[in-house]
Amino acid sequence: MTQSGEAVIRVADLKKYYGDVKAVDGVSFEVGRGEVFGMLGPNGAGKTTTIEVLEGLRPPDSGTVEVLGLDVCKHPQPIKERIGVQLQSVSLYPRLTVTELLDLFGSFFKHRVPTKQLIDAVDLGERAKARSMNLSGGQQQRLSIALALVNDPELVFLDEPTTGLDPQARRSLWDLIKGLQAKGKTVMLTTHYMEEAAELCDRVAIMDHGHILEMGAVPDLIGRRFKERAVFFDSNPKLPADGLAKLGGVTRAAVEDGQTVLYSKDIPDTIGALLSMADGLSVEPHNLGIRQATLEDVFLDLTGRALRD
Amino acid sequence: MKTLLGLTVANIKSLTRDRAALFWTIFFPIMFVFLFGWIFGGSGGDTRISVGFVDQDASGASAGMRQAFSSVQILTLQYGTLEQEQAAMQHGDVSAIIVIPKDFGAGLTSKQAHAAVIQYYIDPSKTQVDQIVVGAVTQVQNGANLTIAGGSEVVSISPQTLTSNNIGAVAYLVPSILAMALMQLGVFAAIPLVQQREKGILKRIGATPLSRWKLVGSNVLLRLLVAIVDAVLIIGIGMVFFGVQVVGNVLAAGAFVLLGAGAFLAIGFMLASFLKTEEQATGVVQVVQMPMMFLSGIFFQFDFLPGFLQTVGRAMPLTYLADALRQTMVNGTQIVPLTTDFAILAVWLVVCLGISTRFFRWE
Ligand SMILES: Nc1ncnc2c1ncn2[C@@H]1O[C@H](COP(=O)(O)OP(=O)(O)O)[C@@H](O)[C@H]1O
Ligand SMILES: [Mg+2]
Repeated sequence: MTQSGEAVIRVADLKKYYGDVKAVDGVSFEVGRGEVFGMLGPNGAGKTTTIEVLEGLRPPDSGTVEVLGLDVCKHPQPIKERIGVQLQSVSLYPRLTVTELLDLFGSFFKHRVPTKQLIDAVDLGERAKARSMNLSGGQQQRLSIALALVNDPELVFLDEPTTGLDPQARRSLWDLIKGLQAKGKTVMLTTHYMEEAAELCDRVAIMDHGHILEMGAVPDLIGRRFKERAVFFDSNPKLPADGLAKLGGVTRAAVEDGQTVLYSKDIPDTIGALLSMADGLSVEPHNLGIRQATLEDVFLDLTGRALRD
Repeated sequence: MKTLLGLTVANIKSLTRDRAALFWTIFFPIMFVFLFGWIFGGSGGDTRISVGFVDQDASGASAGMRQAFSSVQILTLQYGTLEQEQAAMQHGDVSAIIVIPKDFGAGLTSKQAHAAVIQYYIDPSKTQVDQIVVGAVTQVQNGANLTIAGGSEVVSISPQTLTSNNIGAVAYLVPSILAMALMQLGVFAAIPLVQQREKGILKRIGATPLSRWKLVGSNVLLRLLVAIVDAVLIIGIGMVFFGVQVVGNVLAAGAFVLLGAGAFLAIGFMLASFLKTEEQATGVVQVVQMPMMFLSGIFFQFDFLPGFLQTVGRAMPLTYLADALRQTMVNGTQIVPLTTDFAILAVWLVVCLGISTRFFRWE
């Protein structure tokens, strides 16, 4: 399953229940050294629970969990020395400055990166003396990534690193995360943004209701399901999806978010047939366009639901 | 050890940069000392001291002494038998007693050295008053020796001590306010703990190799340091501004400051174990500390409370910390012996700590 030989994360049949809630219900996967591995899924899918079991923060109910070749339950301390952790929505000592926080967290580890170097790495030089409570959302996320890097970890966990950020802050964080991989670190991240998973991850596990539904490289995930591309336009009652499914080249028709989507093996044929049918009914398909199938389509196809926050 | 210190410094910075927290842990108790010091120490303008005068000789010479003492500006005399005046002194109605014993007149006429004795009773815990009384007695003694005995040492003085039960309102209040400050310091510790858990700081630190006892230890260390600062400030202000004398066992008082802070910290930790949100914590902490403040006899003598409230008060650990601090700092009247105070506080410490370790949640 992994690309390079050595697996730094090995999870087999992991289960974690909270009473009746099956937060994680039999999950298995491996992550190879140097990979960026993503867990993609809607809120409540079980991503945080999974990642926090790997970080040694929650005990699993059953299953085996190995990180860096060590059993998480038996050897949490040596693992914690070698991993970097960013938790979903944590605000740290609000009245300490960026420099003070990095110094403090650095002191918890045997091996540490100089604070100055960390601040430069996440581009917070101008805010080094600012209290963490006064940082913007994007800056706080950069700080928490810097905190995850204080011990120069081999493996970095990032739980929804860009949730709630504006697109610009998100892009600059993506660059930061790509930089981690370039430095040879293995990254496991969770996200509920399709583009983020597609942009950053070598492999993605699609998760829902505590299960991994599908796993693989993004192009493979799409290609496995969709040999075709998609024609889409604003849905119109005069052009019902099931009627359109019979048009030339169309393999399947669906309605997603107010748009009718026709998956097609032969785009010119499909568009020609669609336009002449519309012409006959004296309607015009609005915002007509063509695109590749995306992870969004994969998720929709897997669950029958759209992936949205 | 280095990480423990680092964390403690982080906690100190967080506290000193948080104006509200700083107010409650340090300025609030100090404000109390000033407030109550001014209210109850109101005799500051009137510096006259009430002194009991006992004439057991009933001679011309003793009448002369009475005349001499009543002409000392700073003293107000009150006359009675020794028993009456001793009782008055114990109640705090007079601050000292001057006694002219039988045969004073005869001794004076004998003109033999030290034949005539002036006795006086002072309370060693009230040094300021004592200095004035001793000064007055010495002045009268010298005057008598000069005018009557021509400068030879016929009249001598003999000091006695008598400890008053009434230690004075401010002297009563200073250890009480210190006890209150320690109680609040400990109980209020629940708030930052719940806050840190709610914010995920405890969890985030749990993802590092740092052991959790260091995390808790740093919180304890911070609070104990603040306890010492509070003690020094409160006692210092009492001494400098309101003339309170610390006469008891300083070491024992220090030990009770730490034990008390520890017991209330354990209570704070126990509260933090059961409270989920910061709002809950702020509310519950007030519900816990307010009745303790008023029912533990720290602002007025315990006996003044109605019976059933005394029972409630007796169940509260603050009662015993205040009692212990009064006993060790200003020789206050005991509610229970020091060993009982110690035992009760230690039990609170151990039980609450046990409950905390069992129920405390890191997230
Ligand atoms: N500590 C907890 N106690 C009870 N239920 C929890 C707890 N943590 C998570 N859950 C539940 O487990 C499910 C998965 O949650 P989570 O792992 O946070 O999902 P995600 O990170 O994918 O949004 C959700 O239904 C959530 O409500
Ligand atoms: Mg989550």
